[in-house]
Amino acid sequence: MLLIDKLSYQSKLRYVNASEKLMYAVLTLVLCILSRSVRVAVLVFAVNGILTVGKGGIPLFRYIKLLMIPFAFLIVGTAAIMVNISETPLDAFAITIGKWYITGSRAGVYQGLRLCSTAFAAVSCLYFLSLNTVMTDILGTCRKLHLPPLLIELMLLIYRFIFVLSKTAHAITVSQQSRLGNRNFRTQIRAFGALGSALFVLALKRSNALYDAMESRCYDGSIRVLSREQPASKKEIAGIIMFEVILILIWFCNWPVCG
Amino acid sequence: MPKKKKILLRAYIAFAALFVIAPASNAMHIMEGYLPAGYCVAWGVICLPFLIAGFISLKKKVKENRRNLTLIAMSGAFIFVISSLKIPSVTGSCSHMTGTGLGAILFGPAAVSVLGIIVLIFQAVLLAHGGLTTLGANTFSMAIAGPLVSFGIYKLCRAAKVNRRVGVFLAAFLGDIFTYCVTSIQLALAYPSEAGGVAASAVKFLGVFAPTQLPLAVIEGILTVVIVIGLETYAKPELKSIGFLRDTPGKQPPCLHERIFAGQRTANDSCRELSEVSRDRIGEAKHPLSD
Repeated sequence: MLLIDKLSYQSKLRYVNASEKLMYAVLTLVLCILSRSVRVAVLVFAVNGILTVGKGGIPLFRYIKLLMIPFAFLIVGTAAIMVNISETPLDAFAITIGKWYITGSRAGVYQGLRLCSTAFAAVSCLYFLSLNTVMTDILGTCRKLHLPPLLIELMLLIYRFIFVLSKTAHAITVSQQSRLGNRNFRTQIRAFGALGSALFVLALKRSNALYDAMESRCYDGSIRVLSREQPASKKEIAGIIMFEVILILIWFCNWPVCG
Repeated sequence: MPKKKKILLRAYIAFAALFVIAPASNAMHIMEGYLPAGYCVAWGVICLPFLIAGFISLKKKVKENRRNLTLIAMSGAFIFVISSLKIPSVTGSCSHMTGTGLGAILFGPAAVSVLGIIVLIFQAVLLAHGGLTTLGANTFSMAIAGPLVSFGIYKLCRAAKVNRRVGVFLAAFLGDIFTYCVTSIQLALAYPSEAGGVAASAVKFLGVFAPTQLPLAVIEGILTVVIVIGLETYAKPELKSIGFLRDTPGKQPPCLHERIFAGQRTANDSCRELSEVSRDRIGEAKHPLSD
């Protein structure tokens, strides 16, 4: 149903300490965005690919397919950055339409390409986190960071309910389709409306039933679960720090190209 | 000039072909890593007061009645699921609702701001729509600006005694359009055009996203109306319990469980009766809506 969630349970890196993975992903992400250098981006993209596909054992085909998800936004957005419409042509390319030019400058094209590389590196960081870490582990780490308990409780409940509701929604969709509910545009709209309202009623009903069930099991505002503690290994932390230092070196000193 | 026209035609075809390859045209989530660091932080800071206000209002609601916690969580999951379902589209591409208009109308803008940021985090991590660094910008456009406009327009239409359905349509439609405008302006602020600055850039982003976003906004408006009609038909008591419908001012409408204890009719009963009727007709087969 949720592909990324399913894959994260199969990952071989699943039982690595979650705080470590979160720290690695966030630090690398921040460095990518701050540096905006193509070299950093290429290195990060490669390392995350190796970690996720090689070490984590996520199928390569799936990984590539997932990387294509933000593609539409990237193409459209970057096109808007690269292409200008003005009365004077710029230096990279220019196509005349009447009095106006569809045109772009070298700097603009370079900026667009740099943006693409940074964005892909950043997405690979996000995928490293989400494909190798189970949601409940991420929430456990959030709890250690002392985020408001009500917020974490809400996130935990919403995460659980997402599956409950999408299962219901799936069942309703199947039954609608088997009754030719998506025959044409009109019926599609009607079917979606019926699905939405039925889902809402069922959600409210469920939430009441669920509260009764939890209350009868002494629920007092927080679900306490024993989490399997994976101690952070010093070797891994050292590796993460070294990697970040290398990224910073590449960013600041243009290392290793000019000496 | 035929040669240049040819080039233009080729570029156009290539651009169109990209839309065929691109898997989904989802709502306007700014993707991970697309905004410079300064803008990420700035949008996050702008969101903070709204989020704190929303969080305090949620906290008050939970303190009032603990039962509201599961209700709020269910509402959040509802927004997520509604926005992850494929919706019918004219162009044939697969697109999704934003669900913010519906959420704002049903639950109010304060609750939707906090639920919105949680939903956006889940969308980033579980669906790779949006991202962690662009969370602030996305939260502002989708969980704060859009819902506020939707809610304002809905209330305005109620006050002006406009037909409820027209009001719901306008609220969802304009909320969607506003979200799309805010996102375009966010992108334009980060990447001003070399020829013409921020304003020209904003026009470019608006133009580039218009072909997907405008039909989407109309469809979202229609779907929201159809859902609200469905709710008004089947779930009047539930709508009263969350404060959406109100016919007896001053008197708190009873919750679902209170109605069940008082022996009043609920949507549950309608389901059960329906299933009994269908069981009579087709033997032991169960109605899909019954538990």
